[in-house]
Amino acid sequence: MSDPPKPTCFHCGEPIPSGTGLAVEIEGQPRPMCCAGCQAVATIIHASGLKRYYDFRDALPERPESEFAPGRFSAWDRDAVLDHHAVPDSTVRQTSVRTDGRSDVRTIVLVLENVHCAACAWLVHRYLGAFPGVAEVRLDISDGRLKLVFDPAATPLSRLADALARLGYPPHLDTPDAGLDRDRNERRRMLRYLVVAALGMMQVMSYALANYIGAGAFGTAGGMDPETEHFFKLISMIVAVPVALYAGQPFYRSAASHLAHGHLGLDVPVAAAMLLALFSSVLITLFGAGEVYFDSVVMFIFFLLLGRYAVMLARQGSGALHSALARALPSQARRLTDSGSETVGLIELNPGDRLVVADGEIVPADGVVLEGQGRIDESLLSGESEPRLRRVGDAVLAGSVVTGGSLTVRIESLGPGTVLSGIIELLAEARRKRPRLAQLADRAAGVFISVILLAAAAAALYWWRTDAGRVIPIVLAMLVVACPCALALGTPTALAAATRRLAADGVLTADPDALERLPQVTHVLLDKTGTLTEPGMRVVDVEVDARINRLRAMALAGALERVSTHPIARAFESSDLGLDVLDAGSRVGDGVSGMVDGVRYRLGRPDWAGDGFTVPTEGIWLGLAGDDGSRALFRVDASLRRGAAELVDGLQARGIPVILASGDREANVAAMAKRLGIREYHSAMRPEQKLARVEALQREGAVVAMIGDGINDAPVLAGADIAIALAEGAAIARTQADLVVTGRGLGPVLALFHEAPRVRRIIRQNLSWALVYNICALPLAAAGLVPPWAAAIGMSASSLGVVLNARRLGRGGSEHTGTRPGRGLRAVEAGT
Amino acid sequence: MKIIYVLIPLSLLLLSLAVWAFFWAVRNDQFDDLDTPAMDILDDDDDEPKDDPAS
Repeated sequence: MSDPPKPTCFHCGEPIPSGTGLAVEIEGQPRPMCCAGCQAVATIIHASGLKRYYDFRDALPERPESEFAPGRFSAWDRDAVLDHHAVPDSTVRQTSVRTDGRSDVRTIVLVLENVHCAACAWLVHRYLGAFPGVAEVRLDISDGRLKLVFDPAATPLSRLADALARLGYPPHLDTPDAGLDRDRNERRRMLRYLVVAALGMMQVMSYALANYIGAGAFGTAGGMDPETEHFFKLISMIVAVPVALYAGQPFYRSAASHLAHGHLGLDVPVAAAMLLALFSSVLITLFGAGEVYFDSVVMFIFFLLLGRYAVMLARQGSGALHSALARALPSQARRLTDSGSETVGLIELNPGDRLVVADGEIVPADGVVLEGQGRIDESLLSGESEPRLRRVGDAVLAGSVVTGGSLTVRIESLGPGTVLSGIIELLAEARRKRPRLAQLADRAAGVFISVILLAAAAAALYWWRTDAGRVIPIVLAMLVVACPCALALGTPTALAAATRRLAADGVLTADPDALERLPQVTHVLLDKTGTLTEPGMRVVDVEVDARINRLRAMALAGALERVSTHPIARAFESSDLGLDVLDAGSRVGDGVSGMVDGVRYRLGRPDWAGDGFTVPTEGIWLGLAGDDGSRALFRVDASLRRGAAELVDGLQARGIPVILASGDREANVAAMAKRLGIREYHSAMRPEQKLARVEALQREGAVVAMIGDGINDAPVLAGADIAIALAEGAAIARTQADLVVTGRGLGPVLALFHEAPRVRRIIRQNLSWALVYNICALPLAAAGLVPPWAAAIGMSASSLGVVLNARRLGRGGSEHTGTRPGRGLRAVEAGT
Repeated sequence: MKIIYVLIPLSLLLLSLAVWAFFWAVRNDQFDDLDTPAMDILDDDDDEPKDDPAS
């Protein structure tokens, strides 16, 4: 980008706030760090001799958490948890495990957050592999699942889980998911087809080459005797028929299902060409003389499978909704027993159990407060920006966070019965109903295929009358030359290149198709809490009376709030100048009090702090009252996320209306909308209302992009045409997103809107190239001027051109001026 | 040239052997992770961890 170079964090690539001054020495040089979390992870990586991670990685990591509760995975060592999640492993070679006479090797699958690239897998593998008793570490970077074979007696699971969390990959216990197995089986099946086709192709090609040379091709003398020639045809047939029948299955199946549903898919002419070429060649080999096309058929299948395989990998990579529930809940809970309390795994909990949820912990189940009181932050569940006070008898929801105080909760409902689960179900529902935009290639394909089939039929009719012997070679050449290979490769290759490029810019692409849809977006729906604003509050306005000045008021507030754990208190952290406070205390729900320089102050809810305040109606205000009569009012507000204003301005400048949809209160939402110049805003929206708004827009023909971060945004993200989530937000929201922004700012989102038209342009170029090539080649083939083998070479060359063109997306800066000379096919032709 | 009648069927035998070996490898998870092994080769064995994380 063109901004002046700012120092960026060596670990996560984020700009470093001024005056941070953190660094880790790596390779003899101090590397700047943006926060304690990055510093901790970089230190671990360096101390373990794994610093090459920084050379290997090709995507930036998320900012790691900086604070760890000790023993937060301790329940994972309990027998009940191990028996439920970790199966005893009998296959592992006992020699590789130090078992100390007792063999209790177990296999467990954990789901890790923040896994992006092969370097992550390498890091996890090397780091965990060094612990005693760890026999096998295998991390699948496509879905973040870690298969761990370990000996709990040598290294407890909690220890390994803690190590992973410290490294920046918080683990969750896995819940079995049928979809993942299905994906894996599909992957394996396609791989088998692909390799069988490749091996078969090599064999048949070598036989065909012998035949060409024997027939005098390439200027050789020729003169192969007919018996040998027939032998080569036979042997080609023996290889090609089983290979084509086996490896071509995906195409035959898909063509059959397309025909059964009564429409023409890309695979119909493909399968027709394959089967026609195969069986005509078999007949010629067995009964007559003439050309055989075994080599062309197998090559054709191989190249098409290659494209299909690439597309399948990209599709599967798009985030599945696995273990969403586990990600939103804590790793363990503290249960009260008759004799005290015990730390247990979540699977051990039952309705009616009493739990202790301390400050900063996530509530593990829906329940009712039995004892204590505290503030509950439900911002991820509801979008409510301010934590609410909950007292005895109030309900609390699974997935919310206790931010001040400590509670004893009786469990009312667990797991699938919770409100959180309801949201997750709503989201699965929205995902099913999500409208699929017609993709460029699909639209082009329908027309294209009908044209090819009609043309082939017409040519067959014509040649049948003039020269019946040439019907089959000509129809074959037409079907092969018109192979929608380049058409099929055009989109996925461009998307793959763009995905790599965006990862380096701080946007992870879960569903590459989203890049193609992005330029069509007509409306953008924005969440407020956590998306436009950063978590955490700051002081935005100070009003003082004559007895006190602003600086003094801020310093007093900073000192008084020291004792408070309320999130608003953090807004005053930076103004704490170290004044001495005597007799400091805090009252949950009201505020804090203390003596400074002989004056007793109260800071908190204005009506509690003192009298004489005139509090404006808008915003959150805190009053400071001293018993010397001094009064000050502070307005606190969530701080705006970096790039939020630019994003809203940039989108509106592009003519895309921005809609603010928040679960927060009217006053807060209205103020934010006014501040950013957003015309349409909705407040106090529940997830289903947000979703309804999106669906209403979609019914009017709008293409809606949603940018959000919370659990309450997840259903909307699932229902929107394009879902963009923030990496800092809830894990569930991220699993629903097509695109995930890894940084703390919203800048990459705007860059995304600039970049996406370029992706679309390259796709258009690719598709038009494929079409132009086919339109030129088809008449030549119909005229009988192209032998099938030349058609096959032409097809491969056009595919290559498409791939090379797509690679342009992977390099160069983001030029969004639209004045590039290569608007037509020039660049493609240069590539071939 | 008669030898081709022996050699080519022999090559088919080798081909089927290769296909069988490949299927075996797929069945035994050899193709499930194609990303990390590429990293392993970049690893010098003398670059031992400076301190054991488990210590």
